[in-house]
Amino acid sequence: MAVEEEDPGETLRRSLKAKHMKRKKKLFKEMVLESPPDEENEETAVQEERGEGLQRDDSSPVRSPRDLPPRPVIRPGSSQSETSMKQRVAEKLRAAKSKTASLLEQESIIEPVSRLQSLRDRETLTRFDRDIDQDLRVDEDSSFAARLKFRGAARSAARDKRAEDGLPTAEEAYNFFTFNFDPEPQDKSRKQRQSRRREAEEEGEAESENEEEEEEEEKEEVETEREYEGQQLETRDEDAPLVSDVEEDLFVIGQSEHDFLEVRRAEYLGYSRRLQRERETVFVPSMRTVPASGKLPENVRPRYLEEEGLYVGERPSVSLTNRNILENRILKQAEGREWFGDDGRIMALPDPIKESSSRPPLFHLEDELDPALHTVYRKALKSKHANRYIAAMGDPQTDYQLDVDVSGLIFSHHPLFSREHVLGARLAQLYDQHLTGKQKKLTHLLTDKLNGLRNTIRNMLELHRGEALSQVTQHRIAEYKQEVRHTRHLRDVEQEKDRALLKNIIRVWKELKTLRDFQRFTNTPYKLFIRREMVDMDQDELEFNNEIVMEVSELRAEAEEDYQRKMSEYRRRHEDWKSWRRKQKALKKKQKKKRQQEDEDEDEESEEELGEEPEKHDSPEKPDMTAVEEQVREKATRIRRKPGEPVLIPELTVSGPVTPNEQCPRAEFARREDVAKRSLFIKVLYNDKEVSRTDSRTLNMDFRVHFGQIFNLKIVNWPESIKLQIFESVGSSSSQLAEVCVPVPESSVLTGSAPSEEMEFSSNQRVTFNHEGVGSGVPFSFEADGTNMQTLLTSGKLSCCVSWAVGMNDVPLAPPSNHPVGGVYSGLMQMDAIACIGASSLNDMKKLGKWAAESRLDPNDPNNASIMQLLSVVSGGEMAVPEYFRLEQLQEEFNFLSDEELQRSRRFRLLMLRSQEVPEFRHFKCVPSVEREISEKVFQEYERRIKEGEIIDTKDHIDAHRALVARYLQRVRESVINRFLIAKHHFILSDVVSEDEVPSIGVLGLNLFKLAEPKRPLKPLRKERKKVTAQNLSDGDIKLLVNIIRGYDIPIRRPYTSKPPVSARSARPFTEQFTAPVSSQTPVQGSDWPLGQPLIRPFVEVSFQRSVLQTSTAEGPNPCWNEEIVLPFSAPNGDYCSTSLQSFKDEVFINLFDELLYDVVEDERERGNTIHTRIERHWLGSIKIPFSTIYLQSRIDGTFKVSTPPVLLGYSKERSLGSDGGYDAIRSLSDGTFLSLFITIEPQLVPGETIREKMKEVKFDSQELERLLTACEVFEKEAGRCFSDRPCLTTVIDMNGKTVFVTRFIRPLNPPQKLLDAFPNSPQDTMELVARYVSLIPSLPDSVSFARVCDLWSTCDQFLTLLAGDEEEHAVLLCNYFLFMGKKAWLIIGTAIPEGPTVYVLTYEQSRYLIWNPSTGQHYGQYDIFCPLQTIGCLINTDNVWFNMQPYAAPVRMSFDVSRPKLWKPFFSRAFPDPGLSSVQVRTTRTNDSSFIVQNYPSHWY
Amino acid sequence: MTVLTTERCCKRCRNAQSARSLMAEVHIIGQIIGATGFPQNSLFCKWGIHTGGAWRLLSGLKEGQTQVDMPQIGDMAYWSHPIDLHYTTKGLQGWPKLHLQVWHQDSFGRCQLYGYGYCHVPSSPGQHRLQCATWRPLGSWQDQLAQIFVGGGPQLRTPDLIYSGADRYRLHTVAMGTVELELGVILRHFDRYGVET
Repeated sequence: MAVEEEDPGETLRRSLKAKHMKRKKKLFKEMVLESPPDEENEETAVQEERGEGLQRDDSSPVRSPRDLPPRPVIRPGSSQSETSMKQRVAEKLRAAKSKTASLLEQESIIEPVSRLQSLRDRETLTRFDRDIDQDLRVDEDSSFAARLKFRGAARSAARDKRAEDGLPTAEEAYNFFTFNFDPEPQDKSRKQRQSRRREAEEEGEAESENEEEEEEEEKEEVETEREYEGQQLETRDEDAPLVSDVEEDLFVIGQSEHDFLEVRRAEYLGYSRRLQRERETVFVPSMRTVPASGKLPENVRPRYLEEEGLYVGERPSVSLTNRNILENRILKQAEGREWFGDDGRIMALPDPIKESSSRPPLFHLEDELDPALHTVYRKALKSKHANRYIAAMGDPQTDYQLDVDVSGLIFSHHPLFSREHVLGARLAQLYDQHLTGKQKKLTHLLTDKLNGLRNTIRNMLELHRGEALSQVTQHRIAEYKQEVRHTRHLRDVEQEKDRALLKNIIRVWKELKTLRDFQRFTNTPYKLFIRREMVDMDQDELEFNNEIVMEVSELRAEAEEDYQRKMSEYRRRHEDWKSWRRKQKALKKKQKKKRQQEDEDEDEESEEELGEEPEKHDSPEKPDMTAVEEQVREKATRIRRKPGEPVLIPELTVSGPVTPNEQCPRAEFARREDVAKRSLFIKVLYNDKEVSRTDSRTLNMDFRVHFGQIFNLKIVNWPESIKLQIFESVGSSSSQLAEVCVPVPESSVLTGSAPSEEMEFSSNQRVTFNHEGVGSGVPFSFEADGTNMQTLLTSGKLSCCVSWAVGMNDVPLAPPSNHPVGGVYSGLMQMDAIACIGASSLNDMKKLGKWAAESRLDPNDPNNASIMQLLSVVSGGEMAVPEYFRLEQLQEEFNFLSDEELQRSRRFRLLMLRSQEVPEFRHFKCVPSVEREISEKVFQEYERRIKEGEIIDTKDHIDAHRALVARYLQRVRESVINRFLIAKHHFILSDVVSEDEVPSIGVLGLNLFKLAEPKRPLKPLRKERKKVTAQNLSDGDIKLLVNIIRGYDIPIRRPYTSKPPVSARSARPFTEQFTAPVSSQTPVQGSDWPLGQPLIRPFVEVSFQRSVLQTSTAEGPNPCWNEEIVLPFSAPNGDYCSTSLQSFKDEVFINLFDELLYDVVEDERERGNTIHTRIERHWLGSIKIPFSTIYLQSRIDGTFKVSTPPVLLGYSKERSLGSDGGYDAIRSLSDGTFLSLFITIEPQLVPGETIREKMKEVKFDSQELERLLTACEVFEKEAGRCFSDRPCLTTVIDMNGKTVFVTRFIRPLNPPQKLLDAFPNSPQDTMELVARYVSLIPSLPDSVSFARVCDLWSTCDQFLTLLAGDEEEHAVLLCNYFLFMGKKAWLIIGTAIPEGPTVYVLTYEQSRYLIWNPSTGQHYGQYDIFCPLQTIGCLINTDNVWFNMQPYAAPVRMSFDVSRPKLWKPFFSRAFPDPGLSSVQVRTTRTNDSSFIVQNYPSHWY
Repeated sequence: MTVLTTERCCKRCRNAQSARSLMAEVHIIGQIIGATGFPQNSLFCKWGIHTGGAWRLLSGLKEGQTQVDMPQIGDMAYWSHPIDLHYTTKGLQGWPKLHLQVWHQDSFGRCQLYGYGYCHVPSSPGQHRLQCATWRPLGSWQDQLAQIFVGGGPQLRTPDLIYSGADRYRLHTVAMGTVELELGVILRHFDRYGVET
């Protein structure tokens, strides 16, 4: 075992030894030195012995004679050796006991006294010599403890005997479980014993102690024996069958569970005990250094290789303690020494880790790396704008910067202008024009050019004098002449302009002066000086005359030439005529021979034969040369300075004094005060977002504002628009004056080089003042009497400059220029090369050359010198370069077939067209897999359409105008469709994720309620059916249900009053067989028909998609069918997607017929036994309902007017006399025939709502304020939330694709005067006439293929120009006309049947409201139940939009009082006032339109 | 697929000319199933198909982007993004290649590149299950440091490099996860032009 384990044993032994030695020494000493204490000492020893004897008294049988002598204990389990040893021990024990007993017997006489005495004596004794005493006491203590132990042991031994009988006492049991016996291992105690024996042998003394130990040993043995017994007992318990014992008792009820269970305390092992146990099993190597000798074999000295000069690598470093532990551990193992080397250390390889890294570094210089392999560090970005970034693929690390330089602002008109300012501004403007004209020197240039051209012609002529002119030269001369004429014309115009300008300047200046005199103060510092420059009279006159002469000669030459040409033309024609004449004469002669007829007739006939007679031309007049000169002179005096007249040079200065404020009249003073109050600032909007604004600057007296601020915009998104908004603020409130759109600069426009541009702006605000300010948009006059009114709008010039910034190292911070830039330059195409072919293609020499040739670039113009040089250089070497570049050189060799063949494939073409969503092929589901199955015809329509795009087909249309209109509309529509297609590919969440609502507890509750519902309720309601998405439908799945309920007021047959009494063929109405004789005899009216007789037998026939079904026949003018007709529905091309269904153009026809039965029995005799009748169907009227309406509305329910022909022969609308008044009252409001219908589709299809929502997401440009647009959005959203079925409209898209607020369309417009004059006395008739007029304008739905997805609104002017439009345009026009006539009129946005969502007009008149259908011109009262308008969503007039907040939307059940905000929610309220929106309508519509319509649409009449 | 000898090829070509309407077509129908093995798994994928000049797309979209998938169970992000293309060709060069970019969208909604990958569309007809391994440029240590703290990362200046065979060996890249694809390839009329499938 462990070394440590031995230690305590050893120490114990040692200490015991030492004790014995001490005691011995003591004894010797005492014996030797003193005799009296010797006695005492003996006494103590005796005492000890006695004590032992006393202890033994109660238990040991040795002492008492009554007890049995101790007998050897032999237990069955103990081994032979043990028993033998025990016996030996017992013998020894007995011997010792007898010995002590004899000893005791010797001294037993003094025992009773001595005990107490000795205790006392000892006390005293100890007092005498202290040094011994301490030792002694310690010894005594230890011995005492040992004695105690011994006593316990003895007691237990005694008890053991009883335990052998099988009955341990309670105390014993307690001791067994609780006593902490010393865990002394057996062998240790044996060793002890052995060693002690040795000692005892050595010394032969202290037998008693030995005895003690023997006793102890015995006790231990007993203990082990008991343990063993216990084990045995346990094993016995385990071995015993569990059930067999208990079997009887197990199921006895009397036993409770306590009989089987016992409660035990939690087992706990003490910490120290656990440590001890662990120490028993765990080996912990010590950390002490192992001596070298332990590691090496004996008698071997360590050998150090280093010292012998051998190389030994460096060992890996291990900490000392770790090494020690390892060594200690290894040594414990068998053959542990093998691990140690000669030097006594653990064998180890040298350290494998190298000092430097062996991996070669990757060196590469940056420039070596392929540029394509460069990587860029990119920040983690949100992808929101990813597609709108300037460079989607390029590097975003370069940033782009736009510099917006807002330098200043000059008003050319401002509401605060005084009259003088107006004149001053005009003067300044004219002077500016004059200056620019002067700077350009256009007149001078043109004159020079003219002279140059003349010289050239003269030179050429001189050069070729006398010789015949070559073809080329002639041609060139002609060209030059043409040029001369053109240039002269230009010069004349220019000169005239100059002169007029000068005149105007002087006139305005004069006006200004008179005004200043009149108002007696000066407001503007303008001052005009006119400098006269005298000229040399003679020189001037000479030049003037020369010029005239030149011109005259030229004109003459031209006239001559013209004359010559005309003459030749004339001659040719004359020849023609002559030959014709000759022929005619010959013919005449022939005819004369043939016939005898009048000359004229012959002439005519011959004409017929020979075709039309060529006109006989008059020979052209010789031009009047003198008149030419006069004309030239006259013109010269008009447009040119007279010879000798001084040259007038105006000079405008702004140095004049301005009257100070104090001297001004009050009105002027107020104006100046007002001016001082105003200040201006400019907002810079980038892509419609405000990015910055300038400081606010006060308005000066001269109405010039200087900002001089530069804004640097660092941009990420591609610039779409840059806007500058000019705001004027008075006090704290500010208002927008105008908005200026600045074009996005080309990427070559850079800061520094870009010139500042002057952008003109104007605003159509109306402003009036009560002081001197003239206002804006209001007429004012300079004259005292108020004539010569003028209206000026606020306008001015904003000087600003937008350019791309230049970054460090002069790198322009502009995006690459390959982005298409919208047509910024459009007008200057001819003049500017860059504008014409684009800046990017300037490198393309071919294009440039072509352009130079086309635009007749003047090679001598110094402006063009560089281009000319470039062209001349390039044109030389151009031929050498091949015209193509092939990317994949070897492709050609390996091609299967050529491109053309690929192109020819019809199938591929069809596939591609289908995937491009070309309208004709969009709905193709299957494309045949074999080419031959595709016929050429498939493409015919498409190709024709493509071709038609170019040619206007005038045959189909009434005139060219309409053709143009149709083409225009087509183009607008195409652009809308393109936008729509783009929108269709933007998926919103609901397109992708379709999620049924998870039924909640609430739904469950409702379902429970449903259980209690009556199975057949008295008033059944139509339930919402489950909607079916269109994709999984096929033919035959969808059915159209038409429920025909009843009819009202169907015309009845008129009795045959004029019919002959008995028809020859005896065919008479079967139904009239009883009444016919009566009626034939007495001419009676229908009202006289006997009651109960069928006046009419109507039935309804529904036809849809080639299937025709009909109801049964009912009787009477107000029949009730109540029949359901089911019609099958199949979509075009089997495509059931919502877009194709929406564009599905079929209509449901509902025809009303009268069934007549004619008795056709020929023979009266047969009447008795045969019935032979003929059934006739008389058409009475029809209703057409487009399928798209049914699809979009999902059901149609209501009473519809049957469109009947104006005259139904044989039928009349007769009122039955017997009908009660109440019903009549309703009918009297509207005359016509009506049918009550309910139409729906089974199963219900999901209308393409998502498309419309998506279209909303496609933002259109707008000029409306951002605030207004957001307000619109909020308003519409709120409306949709409250009443989703009521249409709400605030913004519409106009013809330019811009969003416009709807009230801008309403403005009083004058209808043609002719209409107003027609009924001067009856306003009602006039209104009807106007409505009729409007309804006559042809209706053209916006886009048939995308029904109502995107309405385009055109203004009335556009509408009348195009002469086509849909309901909105009609309604707007009608409403505007009514407003002009002084009526109260609104637009109604609502739904009607059968149009679906539509626009009507509402008027208020004589305390009743009238609803007008603008497309038909009909009007209905508010309480007309047959009004087609079903729902009213909102009302619109000039000022506001009102949304219907009433519980009912049907016109019959609602109030039209828009002043009550509870019923009608206004758009503009106090919280959001009307910002004063101007109208988009043109003020006056052309009045000749009516005649135009009448002329062009003769089929209409009124 | 084997290209026949020239004589046979010519014969075939003559045949082809006689029936010239039969042009070679390829349908690629399948899906991008998903991606595994990326450090984080809120991923989406941008994909595109690159073909040579002889190929012409008849219908279908040749590039796109999947949704972002954040798997709650497991490592694999599933997209199941459909691919449906119909090509016709006049030559074999430039067989369609599929290139992918896997992106990660972090909790702030920012996107950063997680891997480039590229594989050929299988040239044998039938259903194929492909695994496209992806990689990402490593960048300099500054880039890596920035990537740890602020996201983002080095990206190729020219993403064409993904499928063009330039000398990419100079790039230092890190392997990222794999993208799983399932592509069905249907060939038609290739045998008419001497291509045995």
